[in-house]
Parts: sequence; C-alpha cells; structure tokens
Amino acid sequence: MTQPDPTGWAARQKGMAMNSDEAPGGREPSADGGDESRVRPLPFDTSRAHQARFYDYLLGGKDNYEADRAAVEAQLEIYPDLIFTARANRAFLGRAVRYLAADAGIRQFLDIGTGIPTAGNTHEVAQAVAPESQIVYVDYDPIVLAHARALLRSNDVGATKYIDADLRDTGTVLRLAGQLLDFTKPVAITLLSILHAIPDSDDPYAIVATLLAAVPSGSYLAISHVGPEFVSPETRDALLDTARRTSLQQYTPRTREQVARFFEGTDLVPPGLVPVEEWRPEPDTDTAGKSSFWCAVGRKR
Amino acid sequence: MNTVVPGSEQPDPDDAPVEGIVLRMLLGTQLRRLRETAGVSPERAGTEIRGTRSKISRMETGRVGFKARDVDDLLTLYGVTDEQLRSRFLSLAKQANRPDWWTRYGDILPDWFETYLGLESAATTIRSFEIQFVHGLFQTEDYARGVTMLGHRAAPAEEIEQRVAVRLKRQDLLTRPTAPRIWSVMDEAVLRRPVGGAAVMREQLRHLAEVAALPHVTIQVVPFARGGHAAASGSFTILRFAEHDLPDLVYIEQLTSAVYLEQRADVEHYLEVADQLGGSALTPAASTLFIEQVIKET
Repeated sequence: MTQPDPTGWAARQKGMAMNSDEAPGGREPSADGGDESRVRPLPFDTSRAHQARFYDYLLGGKDNYEADRAAVEAQLEIYPDLIFTARANRAFLGRAVRYLAADAGIRQFLDIGTGIPTAGNTHEVAQAVAPESQIVYVDYDPIVLAHARALLRSNDVGATKYIDADLRDTGTVLRLAGQLLDFTKPVAITLLSILHAIPDSDDPYAIVATLLAAVPSGSYLAISHVGPEFVSPETRDALLDTARRTSLQQYTPRTREQVARFFEGTDLVPPGLVPVEEWRPEPDTDTAGKSSFWCAVGRKR
Repeated sequence: MNTVVPGSEQPDPDDAPVEGIVLRMLLGTQLRRLRETAGVSPERAGTEIRGTRSKISRMETGRVGFKARDVDDLLTLYGVTDEQLRSRFLSLAKQANRPDWWTRYGDILPDWFETYLGLESAATTIRSFEIQFVHGLFQTEDYARGVTMLGHRAAPAEEIEQRVAVRLKRQDLLTRPTAPRIWSVMDEAVLRRPVGGAAVMREQLRHLAEVAALPHVTIQVVPFARGGHAAASGSFTILRFAEHDLPDLVYIEQLTSAVYLEQRADVEHYLEVADQLGGSALTPAASTLFIEQVIKET
C-alpha cells in the first residue's frame, strides 16, 4: 500500500457515495480494504467481559455475552449509577457531535473507540446536521469490527470508513484515516470512554498529542473519561478489583486535573471540563443522576 | 432447544394461529415472571388452569395461544388485582391470537414455516448466513421458482406458483415503513450456483446488488479465498425483536422441519459465529463489487 496523500485522497473521495473501507486502489473485489491488521490483536474472546459489549449491555443492547452481563451486574452491585453514567456518556456524544457539526462547523470526524453501533451514532448525528459530513470510525474489537463495517453506513452525500486498529498505533490510525479525511481542514477527534483503557505505561498523553499534532488549528478534541472523584476510595477499589476479575481490559480513572492535561494546546468550549451530564445540557438531557465521567471539548489553537 | 416436527404432535386445541407469536412470547415471559414472583410452581399453576406443568411451560414460552379464562385464572393465582393491568393482559392475549396473511397458504406451507413467517415479520433485525441459496427475502421470482422446483419436482404447476407467491409476498417487509434491518452474510457458493440457469442467476445477482444498496440491508460475501469459515454446519438465521424482554431466536431450516434455538447458550454460540463471519466477510462495499464481478463471470 502506498503512502496516502491526504489531500489527493480526500479529493478523490469527494462526490463519491463511499461507504467503504477500500484500500487505496481497492476497486477490485479481492482487495478488501479495512482489514488492516492491528498491531495488538484482541482475541475473539467471549469468556471475559469486553468494554464494548459491557457498554452494549449497559445501554440495553443484545450484542453481549454471559461474561459481559456478569461483569456489569457485579459492577452494578457496587455502583448502581453505572447505568446512568453509560447513558449520560452516550447522550454527551450526541450533544458534542451536534455542537461540533452545527455550531463549530466541523465536517470531518475521527471517532476512536466506536463501540457496538447503537442509536445515535456519530455519523447519524453529524449527517443529520450536515449531510456531507465524513466520519472515520476506529476500534480494535473484532465484534465491533463486524458490526461497525456492516451497520455504520453513510448517507449518499457524506462518507464513513471503518478502521480496525488500536488507538495506541497512532501511525496506522492517522495513515488510514487520511484516506478519507483531509488533514489540512479541521477535524473533530472524539475519544469517548476510551482513554481510561490506556494505562499510564502506554503514555496516553503522547497518543493524544500525536493525534492533535496531525490536525490543523481550529480542529476539536472531545474526551470523556472515568474520574476517581465521583466515588469513595472503597467503591473505586472494589470496582477496579471487580474489573480485574471479570474483564479483558482494565481501566485507569484519572482526576479532573489529569483529564485536563489531555487538552493542552486547546481552548475548552464552555462550560469547560465537567461531568458528562452537565456539558451543555439540552431540555431533554437527563441531569437527575450523577455520572462518574469527566468530559470536555477543546478547540485546537 | 425446541424442535418442531410437523405431524409429530397431536393436534392441540390450544395451538393458535401463528401471528402474534412474539406477543405470545412476551406475554409468556411476563406470566412466568409473575408466577415466579408469587412463588407458584409450574405444577400448581398448571392445575389451576385444568392443565399440566407442560401446558404452563408452553404458555410461558409463547408456543400456544392464550385462553382468556386461563389468563384470568393465572392472574388471580399470582395475586394480580390491579384491574387495569388485568384487562391489558387480556386484550394483549386476544391480539396475540390474531391470524395473518400467510394463513391463506396454510395448505401448502408446513406449520414450521408459517411460524417462521410470523417471527420474521415481527423481527426488527434479521441476520442470516447462507451457504447454498440466496436468502428468501432477496430472491427474484425466477430464482424462487428454480429453488422451489428443486424441492418439489413432482408438484403440480399451480402449487409451485403458490409457493413462489409466498416467497415473493414475504418480501413485502423489505419495503414496509417499519422495515427490519437485514444483515445477510453469504458464502461465495451462493453466488456461483446457477439456480434456474445462467440467465436467471445473472438477474438474481443484479437484484442482489440492488437490494444491497437499500439503507436497511447489508449484504456481505465470504469469498472462497478466505478459506474455511466459522459456520461449518450451514445456513442459519437469527431474529431479534424490539422488546427488551425477548431473547434472540436462531432458526435453522432442515429438509422436513425447522429448529428454533432460544436457550441463551445456544443463541450466543450462533451470535458469536455470526459476528466472526461478519468480520471475516468482505465489507459491504467490497461485496457489491464482488457480486458485480461474479455477474460478469456468470
């Protein structure tokens, strides 16, 4: 595969009803793009809970397995507000993408940590505002791969693309995203409920900085992230312990200050860094509960 | 697992017309929950409605229709006194017994297929994997005739046409306002086997490429080049319903009967296989290109 020229690719994609993960030049049936091999393959393992399926069950989906449900139930015993948190995070995605498309005029989205498709996916929200919006989805879960490739389909004017890659492999993410997105124009990078799956040892700050460096001034960064401040230390430890026993992926809660560091080089959109349910709530936003996720949207200087 | 073998069961006066099976499953699930909450055993509940444990079990899994009197007695036994709740239950039970279009074809359709049609038209998502034939919802008239002739060589022309008519009528759900999402993964063999001859097959393939463009339809091909695949056993369909309470159902058609899998462990095994197949198949866009390539070669 040749190194893509982002501008050239964007130009070639323009006007095409693309719903493909074609590799460059992949007009041949045999060249089934999108099957880019990931650097850290996640096994197709349903014996332990996986974040995407865990989340699917929390949101009332049916694409989950016994281990996922058991993990959710175990967490709910300790922390019943988990359901509210998951819903509030999903609602934040809707409001953030709507804001980015309608108020910030963004037409290109890089959605990393797609999860199993449910109602109100990024391209649906963005294309409802601006049909020409182009969205690149990135995830590394084989189940998400199956569902996202099949179901996250663009309208005819815009475009969607799915990349099977690990967020930590920013080189692959950016290279493949550049086949659809024009990195000379503003891009919104959304990292919702994913950075806490990256331990400090994998340097999540460097990952975010690399992604931000690839997009021009006027681009946006949206993050939601588990915060330790929302629960007692005992609850936090019990939740982490449960995850260790039940889940494939572990997570690292980060404080408000630690989450704020991801936004270096950006100006936060009001109201700044807040719990997900408090970010620009709309009349129908459920603010009755208390989530345990921080979130913010920042504009690159 | 619940195996439905036509003719193997005594006619049961409780056997309802198939429409509303999902409603029955839903009502049955709720009745089971009420019974368990009330701490009533299936035997005791069966006795209450002049039946057995197995009658209760059949009701609770939506296999039989509901008699108003039985529902009424059970609600009383379970301590449900709220009149509004009771009357809602009863009116749902009545709806669940309503017949639908395919009952007209009752004489040519085996019971198990009628049941399937009811489920299919109630599903919000239909996922399938096909190794031999194009999915019934995507068949052209000529292809459908070709498939029907294979199975009923000796049948009179009139019956063949009736069977073809059922297949086509089924496709109404593709264009109805609340069309289900259909996600069909097929082996390359489906595209290569010229049922009805090359001309019929080319037309069928063109039709397949057309339906693949519908927003609620996803078609993916697993090319031979991908080697063996996860569904070693054969074709299957997974039906999903909107109701949160209702589990997914796996439907496997056999020569003289059909099997429904509804136990979670069974269903999850198929879901897992379906997810693996979806992941190993060509993307929807590449699949359309692949189909176009096969058209040229057919």
